Amino acid sequence: MDIFSGLMLGFATATTFSNFIYCFFGVLLGTAVGVLPGVGAIATISMLLPFTFGLPVDTALIMLAGIFYGTQYGGSTTAILMNLPGEASSVVTTLDGHEMAKQGRAGRALAAAAIGSFFAGTVGTLFIVIAAPLLASFALTFGPTEYFSLIVLGLVTSMVLTSGSLLTAFGMALFGMLLGMIGTDVNSGAARYTFGSPNLLDGLNFVVVATGIFGLGDVLANLETERTRSAGVAAVKGLFPSREDWKRMSAPIVRGTGLGVLLGVLPGAGLLLASFSSYALEKKLSRHPEEFGKGAIEGVAGPEAANNAAAQTSFIPMLTLGLPGTATMALMIGALIIQGVQPGPDILTQQPALFWGLVVSMWIGNLMLLILNLPLVGMWAKLISVPYRFLFPMICVFTTIGVYSINNSIFDVYMMALFGLLGYFFRKVGAEPAPLILALILGPMAEEYLRRTLLLSHGDASVFFTSPLSLGTLIVAAVLLLSIISPRFRRVREEGLQEAD
Amino acid sequence: MKITQDAALGGLFVASGGIALLMALQYPFGTAGRMGPGYFPVIVSTLLVLTGTGILVRGRLASSEAIVHARWLPLLIVPGAVALFGLLVEKLGLPLAVMLLTVGAATASVGFQLSWKATSGAALFSAVCALVFVKLLGLPIPLVGSWLPALGV
Repeated sequence: MDIFSGLMLGFATATTFSNFIYCFFGVLLGTAVGVLPGVGAIATISMLLPFTFGLPVDTALIMLAGIFYGTQYGGSTTAILMNLPGEASSVVTTLDGHEMAKQGRAGRALAAAAIGSFFAGTVGTLFIVIAAPLLASFALTFGPTEYFSLIVLGLVTSMVLTSGSLLTAFGMALFGMLLGMIGTDVNSGAARYTFGSPNLLDGLNFVVVATGIFGLGDVLANLETERTRSAGVAAVKGLFPSREDWKRMSAPIVRGTGLGVLLGVLPGAGLLLASFSSYALEKKLSRHPEEFGKGAIEGVAGPEAANNAAAQTSFIPMLTLGLPGTATMALMIGALIIQGVQPGPDILTQQPALFWGLVVSMWIGNLMLLILNLPLVGMWAKLISVPYRFLFPMICVFTTIGVYSINNSIFDVYMMALFGLLGYFFRKVGAEPAPLILALILGPMAEEYLRRTLLLSHGDASVFFTSPLSLGTLIVAAVLLLSIISPRFRRVREEGLQEAD
Repeated sequence: MKITQDAALGGLFVASGGIALLMALQYPFGTAGRMGPGYFPVIVSTLLVLTGTGILVRGRLASSEAIVHARWLPLLIVPGAVALFGLLVEKLGLPLAVMLLTVGAATASVGFQLSWKATSGAALFSAVCALVFVKLLGLPIPLVGSWLPALGV
């Protein structure tokens, strides 16, 4: 199917009444929950998952994508107005965004974020339209060898780009892989690590683990510091950027978009890398680098555009290869599997309406965000100031109902409670859970592809180095690992990531 | 005695990796060309034990931050309230279970006070949840649990 007829199909799918409405609800709910302080993207998505359960696949996916963008957007609002980054990638937004808010320019910071995100979203969607079909047809030629190497690359990038030490991240990834092995072994039918419980024969449900660690774990961590939470929300006024603002933010938006589109495709942590490198780039190019950190609009517009562009293109590896690049995309895969869709290169040929409908609705969702958010920003600001003691019981209810309704399994609810405690523990010992979450989904895939490769080669591991694509991927992974040992990169990584803690 | 972050994390990794390794050794190992169900688990759990040991060593050599923690109570109450929901949702039905979870979890907050206003807020929230999730979204969760008819409700 060529791009043009694909887009026509996509528009036809995305603009049906119910898809349009659910896209709108997704964006609205995503923003509403994403704006709440202390609720990150993964927690938001897992909390809102049950709203998509009863829907047909394409509608559910469109709504999920809407939730995802809404979450991203709501996160920047909280970052600007409250100086609270929902996740690492919006840390950069707090630097100048919150400074602007303190100076009474909150409206303009929000507008810069919204306009930058919309532009980036549009370009990102176009990029998906062009790149995804190419990559998907390319991916059909991949064998288990290439897939295994790609998975290794994904795990390595996620470890290198998390805050905290590499050793800790490596341990977290291994721990996630072990959790992923729980259940029936596909090849031999043996039950592994089930402790004799029939509930574990199908393995741990990915959404249950993610919801426990991120949703409930966040609640437990927040409750501990409840007394010390600041509740200062900056006032919003003067939404429209001046001519001077436009002039200062347009070039950063374009550059940020370019960076984000490219880095988002990287498996691992494209979003974080995109927003940090855009900030660094703008600071370097600016004629007034001293204004950065003191309320420079470039420092909001560029990284926000980069972040959103990367969020957009991070769908590419997920949709075309079936490999999640970020923990959030891993959760999206979990959601798709619940819907009975196996993401991968076949999705384009077997379910073109699903793929193209999603792509087109991404753009529609971004447009909705722009229209919705600028006028409604006052309402979101009010929502932010809801006290945490009212919020967290509701968060508990939504996550619990969500987890329960995946399989109507009470066992899953107990598991979520357990993983909530584990998530709290990881936070206390300074271990970032993202590599664990990725490894939980990538680990079983890695085992499967490793087995198949070595079965075909009769146990000869040199095939990983004789396939050019596999060799290239492994070299990139090795360079990344080595670069972290180099003092220069280490300094940049620490500077960039330490503030993410 | 203060437990450092590295000691706790390294300890968890060594312990869970060790147990996983002992269990994995029970599964048939196979060869590289024909891996048994034990092959990959043995490798991964061995690596986890080694990594955990590395983190423990790092904790001894360099200074690792001590774990500071302020409140035990939420750690018991919140997961407890969630587990209670699981235990009772099919027996009491969704609205009552949500009510229990909401109020139960809320007691973990430092700002918790039992008041009519908060309780009726929680009741309203439970009713809305039942309406949205069961009636509107059609999730197959009972509104009236299996215990209630027996009690004559």
